[in-house]
Amino acid sequence: MKKSSSSFSGGWKSLIVFTVLLLAWLCGFASRLFAVIRFESIIHEFDPWFNYRATAYMVEHGFYNFLNWFDERAWYPLGRIVGGTVYPGLMITSGSIHYVLHLLNIPIHIRDICVFLAPIFSGLTAISTYLLTKELWNTGAGLFAACFIAIVPGYISRSVAGSYDNEGIAIFALQFTYYLWVKSVKTGSVFWASLTALSYFYMVSAWGGYVFIINLIPLHVCTLLLMGRYSNRLFTSYTVFCILGLLFSMQIPFVGFQPIRTSEHMAALGAFILILVIGGLKHMQSILSKAEFKYFFIVTSLVAAGTVFFGVVVLTYAGVIAPWSGRFYSLWDTGYAKIHIPIIASVSEHQPTTWFSFFFDLHILVTTFPVGLWYCIKNVNDERVFVVLYALSAVYFAGVMVRLMLTLTPVVCILSGIAFSRLLEIFLKDEETPSNGDSDSEQETSPSRTLYDKAGKLRKMKHEQIKETEGLGANVRSFIIVGVLAMLLMFAVHCTWVTSNAYSSPSIVLSTYSQDGSRQILDDFREAYYWLSQNTDSDARVMSWWDYGYQIAGMANRTTLVDNNTWNNSHIALVGKAMSSTEPKAYEIMKSLDVDYVLVIFGGVIGYSGDDINKFLWMVRIAEGEHPKDIRESDYFTDKGEFRVDAEGSPVLLNCLMYKLSYYRFGELQLDFRSPAGYDRTRNVVIGNKDFDLTYLEEAYTTEHWLVRVYRVKKEDEFNRPRIPVSKRKIRPSDVFISKKTSRRKKGLIKNRPVVVKGKRPVKS
Amino acid sequence: MAGFRNALFIISTFVITYISCIHGEKETLVLLDNLAIKETHSIFFKSLKERGYALTFKLADDPTLVLSKYGEFVYDHLIIFAPSVEEFGGALSVDSITEFIDGGGNVLVAGSSSAGDVLREIASECGVEIDDEGAAVIDHLNYEISDGGSHTLIVADPENLIDAPVIVGSRDVRPLLYQGTGLIADPENPLVLQVLTASSTAYSHVPDQPIKQFPHAVGKKTLLIAALQARNNARVVFCGSLYFFSDEAFSSPVQKQSGFKKYPLSGNQEVSIALSKWVLKENGVLRVKSVAHHKVGSTVPPPSYTIMDDVVYKLQLERKTSDGWVPHDVDDLQMEFVRIDPFVRTTMKRQSPGSYQVVFKIPDVYGVYQFKVDYKRIGYTNIYSSTQVSVRPLEHTQYERFITSAYPYYASSFSMMLGVFLFSFVFLHYREEPVKTKHE
Repeated sequence: MKKSSSSFSGGWKSLIVFTVLLLAWLCGFASRLFAVIRFESIIHEFDPWFNYRATAYMVEHGFYNFLNWFDERAWYPLGRIVGGTVYPGLMITSGSIHYVLHLLNIPIHIRDICVFLAPIFSGLTAISTYLLTKELWNTGAGLFAACFIAIVPGYISRSVAGSYDNEGIAIFALQFTYYLWVKSVKTGSVFWASLTALSYFYMVSAWGGYVFIINLIPLHVCTLLLMGRYSNRLFTSYTVFCILGLLFSMQIPFVGFQPIRTSEHMAALGAFILILVIGGLKHMQSILSKAEFKYFFIVTSLVAAGTVFFGVVVLTYAGVIAPWSGRFYSLWDTGYAKIHIPIIASVSEHQPTTWFSFFFDLHILVTTFPVGLWYCIKNVNDERVFVVLYALSAVYFAGVMVRLMLTLTPVVCILSGIAFSRLLEIFLKDEETPSNGDSDSEQETSPSRTLYDKAGKLRKMKHEQIKETEGLGANVRSFIIVGVLAMLLMFAVHCTWVTSNAYSSPSIVLSTYSQDGSRQILDDFREAYYWLSQNTDSDARVMSWWDYGYQIAGMANRTTLVDNNTWNNSHIALVGKAMSSTEPKAYEIMKSLDVDYVLVIFGGVIGYSGDDINKFLWMVRIAEGEHPKDIRESDYFTDKGEFRVDAEGSPVLLNCLMYKLSYYRFGELQLDFRSPAGYDRTRNVVIGNKDFDLTYLEEAYTTEHWLVRVYRVKKEDEFNRPRIPVSKRKIRPSDVFISKKTSRRKKGLIKNRPVVVKGKRPVKS
Repeated sequence: MAGFRNALFIISTFVITYISCIHGEKETLVLLDNLAIKETHSIFFKSLKERGYALTFKLADDPTLVLSKYGEFVYDHLIIFAPSVEEFGGALSVDSITEFIDGGGNVLVAGSSSAGDVLREIASECGVEIDDEGAAVIDHLNYEISDGGSHTLIVADPENLIDAPVIVGSRDVRPLLYQGTGLIADPENPLVLQVLTASSTAYSHVPDQPIKQFPHAVGKKTLLIAALQARNNARVVFCGSLYFFSDEAFSSPVQKQSGFKKYPLSGNQEVSIALSKWVLKENGVLRVKSVAHHKVGSTVPPPSYTIMDDVVYKLQLERKTSDGWVPHDVDDLQMEFVRIDPFVRTTMKRQSPGSYQVVFKIPDVYGVYQFKVDYKRIGYTNIYSSTQVSVRPLEHTQYERFITSAYPYYASSFSMMLGVFLFSFVFLHYREEPVKTKHE
């Protein structure tokens, strides 16, 4: 590597590095703009709406008011302390950008900052990935990694323009923290370790994924200790980082005392104690004689291990250390959430990852990153141990949850960058250089051959191949170079295609292509939210499933009962119970919660699969978890255990509130001449219960494509009179009433009318 | 000049409000079987007229009948003294009458043994059922002595009146004369009031026919007068007997069978007039005059309360009388502080006539609460007042700054600072002389 770098002068090299990084930034920024170009500058999906609303609030009312913000419009009637339940890093970042720009007299709307924040930060991520990879390997690998991270779909999925979410800035913070950590381990300086802690502080303020850092770094430290790679550099950097990071992280109100109370953070403290003990022992070793030290070592280690173990057990039982949170359990046992916490399992991004999505999100990198991993293991040093651990843990977590693909992506980019740079190094090298690398590999393969037979063989084959190519000359080399470049080209094409097709939908505006290729925009969500904001009382309380809570609050500015924050399971279960009960029972719940409107998403007309009926089983499950006496999941299945809405569906399902609200008057609707009336396009069946009426609710608004349906809950005084229904009357009318009035003759009828003496009749009309 | 204008304005406002008071709430439509009823029930109608009602008499089959024009109700009250109507004339129907009730109109319906299906339909819409056509309340023990032998002219004991002076006035009146059909109401239904029940020996059946089936109404379940105060406070009274309101009943002597005490006059007039006062909303109409809430020590409501605040909640209650609204005194007015469930429920203290106050501490739970006063008493209009306020947790500046239990930590941190300070002096000024000497 030294030779390749030496072929350029320093100036040229930094110009190239600068140009490549700039291009990576620009390219990454540009490819994230599909959604803005196709639709408009708009906030996407669900969580970003809350982040945007909170940011707008902070910009308007100032930071301290934001910190103390009690949002009475969310989680009615519980309310939500926003300042204490949010990672404020995102809001502060965009708020300060807004502040600075306004100081410079650049009047930009906060929404535009929010929309473009993630693409801009993707450039910073690319740069910090470059720095990290450069520390781990060399500049070339760093540039590769930076280019990969700029366009890889796994990261773009969370950072397109408009996707204003924590992850957008958190990946930058993650990479930068790792870079600083690696740097501080390398140098062993207090300065870099403090910077690591500061960067960690930013990460803590931005994303709950900071737990990944605070577990990975102790893991790195422990592994190094086990490998016997204890050094004073490690001691300095870790102790400084651990203490400062701990203190910093406790400054975030949402985190609070968690770092010293929950099990997730215990690893950091454990590693801290361990490194202190080992440091102390090393010191003692230098003072004491060998026999003394042995005795001292055994006693100390036994006492220390016993104390720590019993301490943790006692504190956990006493409740000082909280047990692991459910989301964390589901990381180890993928079936855990499904059984115990349906609310976590109900989120699609908490599902286990499929093989398909690995390829979809990473493409060629998924095959090359083990190569980079191999190189790192082969040429191991302190910081490469770190990246190996990073890769292994991230792969595991990405396999458990789709969402954690995001943490895998950066390390895949780093290792693939190493792999590609190594590959090109070998094949772009001049004829005389390989001898150097040759001897290197010889030295390292010989011990490995004795340990791992296969690896040694593989290694040898590669080694031979290299020799052959050298023998064959420039032709074969150029073939391989062209092949690699073609692969990279295909990677770029794939990334652009995935970004454009899969990750650039705002999901609040849908688009479809009609048969002639023209694009149709389905703007039903915003239509409904706009209707709510214009036609309902400003205090109106809207009940919907929690997915839509943030959007209702953000776009319609109405009070919601539950939202995507999902902090109170029993409140969500109450809404789930209302949705899965019959109308009269649901009315009781809605009355106790003062619900004014109910909003349901119904995709049966346009075939939108993410609608409430498809999510309905989760509502039932969550409700069952809290109210097992009233709601039973098995009631909603047919005898054969199927969930179906057609005539064979279970009667409980066909009479519950969610079914009725989704399919109210749908039985009258014939979509086209090929299908009968009441044909649900999402589930491809004719619905089972077509003819029903609503008693306690009335339809208030249905959007153009029936995607969003809003119902008004009738107030109690609308059931003004205790009407006796005809079926319950004891006294039947004597005969069928036929009106004798006509449009002309409107005189009524009085029987037994006494004969009126003429002349006495006073008035006629 | 300006003062004069103001005075003029104020006077004209008064005049307008007065007119609207007199005129706007007293338009009454009276539907009759035949115009003779106007004469046979003249005492009742006269008392209404004396109380200021503008009565519009119409035959029930009049083709020009309307209750509402252009979406506004033309009348405030409706009296149906037309038991044998089969179909109303004009725009009047069961639907328009129920709409009238739902719109807040008050209805008094008197039936008879020959009550038609349309009345039965109206009654069922209001939770009451009128017995079959031809049926009459028969009481073989409590009949009036002048009864022809079918025992349908019965003497109702005032003891069977509902215990609510607002509706029926005093129960200490002379016995009541009643001739007509029986009513049935679901006893479980809290909105329907059983104003007058028959005695336990009565039943409702067609007098001349032999009893083959169990009668629809037997004993105390046979209602003679039923009332409904709907949830919107519209009032509806059903009486099975048109005779009950007649001049004849008002002025007849009453004697239960032979041998019992003979009263020179029945109690019908008192009860009818009390009932008409109630149904036409002269009696038992309450309203909340004002609601106020604030922290103790302040007078204006804050944008939001903080947990553990002391709060004052005030409410003024008024009752309608013929002279206007006067303060209404009760002793059992309760206030609830509700977030799904009531967190606080206390009886409000009366400060001065008609004004109530409660002082309480907000619980240590944040959220959106409602001050709720839900006052429902038989005969009175429902009082429901809810005021939504939000209760927020402490702000970051409102917590205790220095906690006693943390003093060891304060001490340790300050001693640490001091130690570092002293150590820095030692570190800077310490000269390692002995080491040098050793080396040398």
